[in-house]
Amino acid sequence: MQQALQHLVNGTILGGTYALLGIGLTLIFGVMRVVNFTHGELYAFGAYMAYGLVALLRLDFYLSLLLATLLGTALGAAIELLLLRPLRRADIDSVMLAMIGAALVLQNANMWAWGGVAKLVPSPFAGTPLVFGPVSVMPLRLFVLGISCALLVGFWLLLERTRAGIAMRATFQDAETASLMGVRVGWVSTATFAIGSGLAAAAGALLGPVFMVSPTMGDLVGLKAFAIVILGGLGNLPGAVIGGFALGYVEEFGGGFLSTEYRDAFGFLLIILVLAVRPQGLVALKERVG
Amino acid sequence: MLRLENVSVAYGRVAALKGVSLELREGELISLIGANGAGKSTTLKTISGLLKPLSGRITWDGEPIAGLPPREILRRGIAHCPEGRRVFPHLTVRENLAMGALLRQDGAGIASDLDAMYHRFPRLKERAGQAAGTLSGGEQQMLAIARALMSRPRLVMFDEPSLGLAPNLVEQVFRIVEEVRLQGLMVLMVEQNALAALSLCDRAYLMETGCVVRSGTGAELLDSGDVRDAYLGGRAFAA
Repeated sequence: MQQALQHLVNGTILGGTYALLGIGLTLIFGVMRVVNFTHGELYAFGAYMAYGLVALLRLDFYLSLLLATLLGTALGAAIELLLLRPLRRADIDSVMLAMIGAALVLQNANMWAWGGVAKLVPSPFAGTPLVFGPVSVMPLRLFVLGISCALLVGFWLLLERTRAGIAMRATFQDAETASLMGVRVGWVSTATFAIGSGLAAAAGALLGPVFMVSPTMGDLVGLKAFAIVILGGLGNLPGAVIGGFALGYVEEFGGGFLSTEYRDAFGFLLIILVLAVRPQGLVALKERVG
Repeated sequence: MLRLENVSVAYGRVAALKGVSLELREGELISLIGANGAGKSTTLKTISGLLKPLSGRITWDGEPIAGLPPREILRRGIAHCPEGRRVFPHLTVRENLAMGALLRQDGAGIASDLDAMYHRFPRLKERAGQAAGTLSGGEQQMLAIARALMSRPRLVMFDEPSLGLAPNLVEQVFRIVEEVRLQGLMVLMVEQNALAALSLCDRAYLMETGCVVRSGTGAELLDSGDVRDAYLGGRAFAA
């Protein structure tokens, strides 16, 4: 029982960052109909930027995480403007190939810039766990959870409560009619891709001090992001949050009770199961957005 | 005043409009009638900037507007209420109306227009917090019209506002179109229900395969033999 509580806490912490990854990817697909293969690489980019700023430039830890997120947002905007915008009228295959190419370039750039040896982002948090009754948790991980939840809530408020958010959801649902209302669909696409990328980079920067940062980490993370999005239903924002936490729990409980070695496999088993039983995703809502 | 001169549009290599000319004067209600595929919706989409003309001129108060993006057209006071209602299904009724006022900055004016819409369409007020996709077809059409009016346009273009509605609702929609005109707005309406459209309008243009083939007052077109045979013959209309 104690062990289960501990896994619940760990799964929640992992799930929060997975949810960040998931909403970014599902938002990009929903608004732009682009399958974003660079998503995992943006996560890796965020982690490396956090490493570079903290370990090499010796900037403040919190400031570095913020900057890493902003740099990820800027990289996302650049990818949209330079790569996706010229391909707006291209067929989906060309766009997919271009995105796979971009992912390869980003990954090899990481390898080239940082070398193949894994890094750890130094953090100012104490190395001794906080103990709450039967559960112990590292302060750093609590911080990660807090920021993930703050970003999720902030993003939700942006979508629900601002004019820009309403315009973004309208574009998600019917781009042509949104343009008749005066929405600049091209800029909504750029903003969407940038925000989605920024969320992925934030997840990477947050987990950089928790896990090791390595040049190929984006591969597995990218796959997991797709898993999360498919779990929740493609283009479904609440679904992506639920999918993120579901994946976090399955990995944590599977890894804890069954086998640590196959930890990553449990998540994918879950997806195979969901696809077999509920191909529309766990959360088949009437409402796809918001 | 809106004027189209010799406007041609193509979808890929298929010509959709072949030199269409028409004009709309201050305070007029104009109908575009004709069969499916005649180019009526294409004409509206070209005016609102969704389609770019290959050639020809479109002027609004003398200023050329052909090829401007929809945002700029709307800014100049031309709103387009598209075919099939096209409300945003997962936005609430209130959010849909807010989308109509997206380009406006006058918060107080928007709020008072919203009240006016709710007063005019009490059903929308009752359902303000509900997703638009859950409304009935008639309610969605009211919402689409109200959304177009929320931009405070000088010209509203309605594309098939009565399509797919029950007869009593069709009547209601045409009454609203008439009210809009009585408020002093210009109206350009595409309608398959030719009898209703011709009875309502000041002038009408009959389109066939991408061309304007006849124009005149509503009464003239109603009286002309070929219009009667082709579009009104033997059909019973509720409106």
